[in-house]
Amino acid sequence: MTGPITTKIKARYDGEDLGASEGLLVAVARLLDPLVEGEALELTSENPSVPDDLRIWCRRAGHRFAIATRENGKSTIVIERGRFVRTLADPVEWGVRMQRRGDTIDMRDWQVGRHADIQEEAARGGSLAPRGAPLERGAPGIEFSIRKRSDIWANAISELYEQATSSQWVGARDIPWLKLTPIDEQVERAVCQIMTFLAENEYAALYVPARFIGQIHPHFTEVALFLTTVMVDEARHIEVFTKRALANGGGLGIASAATQLSLASLLEPKDFSTASFLLSVLGEGTFLDLLAFLEEHAPEQATREICRRARQDEARHVRFGIAHARYAIEADVRAARRFGSAVEARAEFLKSVSGVGALIEESLIIYSGGGMSPSSLRAGTGRVAALYETMHANRVKRLAAAGFDTEQADHMSRLHTPNFM
Amino acid sequence: MTRPILMGAVAYDPKVVPIWDGIREYLKAAGRGMDYVLFSNYESQVDALISGFIDIAWNTNLAYVRAYRRTNGRCRALAMRDTDVDYRSVILVRNDAGINSVADLRGKSLALGSRDSGHAAILPLYFLKRQDIDTQRDLKLLRFDLDVGKHGDTGASESAVLNAVASGQAEAGAVGDPFWAKALEERAVDSDKVRLLWTTPTYHHCNFTALDSLDEARFGPWVDALLRMDYNNPTQRRLLDMEGLKRWLPAQTEGYRTLFEAVEEQGIE
Repeated sequence: MTGPITTKIKARYDGEDLGASEGLLVAVARLLDPLVEGEALELTSENPSVPDDLRIWCRRAGHRFAIATRENGKSTIVIERGRFVRTLADPVEWGVRMQRRGDTIDMRDWQVGRHADIQEEAARGGSLAPRGAPLERGAPGIEFSIRKRSDIWANAISELYEQATSSQWVGARDIPWLKLTPIDEQVERAVCQIMTFLAENEYAALYVPARFIGQIHPHFTEVALFLTTVMVDEARHIEVFTKRALANGGGLGIASAATQLSLASLLEPKDFSTASFLLSVLGEGTFLDLLAFLEEHAPEQATREICRRARQDEARHVRFGIAHARYAIEADVRAARRFGSAVEARAEFLKSVSGVGALIEESLIIYSGGGMSPSSLRAGTGRVAALYETMHANRVKRLAAAGFDTEQADHMSRLHTPNFM
Repeated sequence: MTRPILMGAVAYDPKVVPIWDGIREYLKAAGRGMDYVLFSNYESQVDALISGFIDIAWNTNLAYVRAYRRTNGRCRALAMRDTDVDYRSVILVRNDAGINSVADLRGKSLALGSRDSGHAAILPLYFLKRQDIDTQRDLKLLRFDLDVGKHGDTGASESAVLNAVASGQAEAGAVGDPFWAKALEERAVDSDKVRLLWTTPTYHHCNFTALDSLDEARFGPWVDALLRMDYNNPTQRRLLDMEGLKRWLPAQTEGYRTLFEAVEEQGIE
C-alpha cells in the first residue's frame, strides 16, 4: 500500500512514543476529518508498533496508508484521507462567541451563529438537538406538533427564563417555618382550607404546561425551557401550600367539586395558546390578586412569606401568558376570537358553578378579618368584596395588555370563572 | 418469470437479520428481488448451494474454497466487500516474552482462534511455515475452538486469543487484522503487555459464491445493484457499517490461492 509521495500534506502530528490504542488514533482520526480526499497527514512516531498498527487501522477506516519510513528510531508515516467522511453532516461552525453581560453569560445574548436563525415554522422531522447544530443524515425524524412560532413564542422569553432561574427558592429552607406557632383555631381552619384550594389550583398550573412541553419543537427551545421553570415553580408551590396545611396542627381542607370541575376544564384545550390564555392570563392573573390579598392579611409570617414568594413566581407566568397571547394575536387576529370562544365555552361549561364556593369564601372572610368575632367578620366581608373588584379591574388591564379592546376585556373578565383560576 | 435470487448467509450474530433485511429492502427498491435464508453453519450453507436450494452463498474464504473443491471448480465468486481484499493475519506477542522477530517464535506458545477460521488459525500457520517455522514442532499451539462452524465470524475466538496473550496464558497469538484494528480503536489493547509482532501477506476473505450453472442474466443485475450501494446514503451506510464495508467490489479470486494451498497442506476437508 505504499506509493510515491505525491500527496499534499495538510496536517502534521508528532505522536512521540504514544501507542495506537493509547490515544494516538484519536489524534489521527480528528486530524484527518477536516481534510479532503487525497490530502494527507504526516505523523512522526518513536513507537515501533505504530506503523503496522496504523497500516491496519487505515484499512478499517478507509484511508490510504501512503508511506512509512524509519530513521534513527523514528518513523514518518503519511496517511491520505479516503473518500468517505466519518459523519454525514454539514461542517460545524467555529468562532461563535456570545457577548458577556457583566460577569454572566445570559440567554438574551445567545442569538449568535446558526443558533440565531429562528424560523417562523420549524421543519418536519425534528430532532432533540440545539437549534443550529448540524444534524447527521440518517438521524431519526422526531415529530413535534407545535412547530409554528406563533403557536408558542413570546417576546422577552429569554429574559423571563433568566429571571426564572435566578429567582428559584427552596420550600424547606426559605420559608420561616420556625416562626409558625399555634394561632386562633378558626383562622387556622381557614388557612388550611385556603392552602388546600391553592394547591389544587397549582396542580392544574403544573399539569397544563406538562401536557404541552413534549409537543414543542426544540427549535423553540427558549419556550420549552421557560415552561420547565414554570413546572418547577408550580411543584414548589404545591409543596409549600401542602406543608403549610399540614404543619400547624390543622390538616388538609376539602377539595370541592366546584373547584375540581373548574380546574378540569383547564385541561380541555388542545392547543397551547388557548390553554395558556385561560391558565396564565386569566387564571394565574387572578391568582396574583388573591396571593397579594393573602399576603396582606396573613395571620403569621410563614404564610405571608409563602404567599409573597408564590406571587413573585406567578407574576412571571402571567407575563409570559400575556406576551404569548399578544404574539399569537399579532401573528393572526383570529387567535383573539379563538380565545374569546374558549372563555365563552368555559363559562357555559361552568354555569352550574355560581361562586367560588362557601368553603373558600367563608375561609377568605375569616382569614382576612382575623377570626370569627362580629367585628372580624364585618371587616373580612368588606375585604373580600373589595378583592373581587380588584380582581376584575386587573383582569381587564391584563386582557388589554394582551391585545383586547376595553369592551371585549370587560366582557371576558365577567365571564371568567368565579373559581379565580 | 424466474424466481428471485435466494441467498444464504450464516447467522453468526443477531445483527445478521437487520443486515440482510435491509439489503433485501434496498435491492427491492432497486428492482432486484431477493430473499435470504439463514444457516447456523457454513457447512450446511455450502451443502445448500451445491444442492441448488440457494442460488448464492455469502461465504467465508474457507466456505468458498470448500465449495470450489467439492464442485471441482464449477462455482464462481461474484462480489466481495472492499475489506475482503488485502486481509491479513496479525501475530501478537507479549512484550515480556522476548520475541522480537518471527524466528523468535520458536519454542513459544501460540494462541489460535477456531480451527475453521481462515484468518485466526489456518492462514497464520500457513504463512508462519513460509517463515521457516515448523508449526508442529517449534510452537506450542493453544487453540480456542469457539463457535466452530462459523469460521471465526463471531470474533469470540480472537477475543480469547487476545486475552490469552494479555494474561500470559500464551506468549503469542494470531488474529485477523480487522479484529486488531477494532481493538486498537476501542482502546481494548493493553500496550504495556501486548503488541503486534508481524503481519502475514495479504489474502482475500468473504465472497458471494454461486454455482457455474447460475445464469448471468439472473445474478448480473443483482450484483450490479449491490455494487451501487452508497456509503454516503445514511440508510445504506447503516447496513454497510454493520456488515463491515464501505463498498462492494466485483470479486477477485487471486487472493484465495494461499488458502487453497493451506487447506491442502493442513489436510482440512
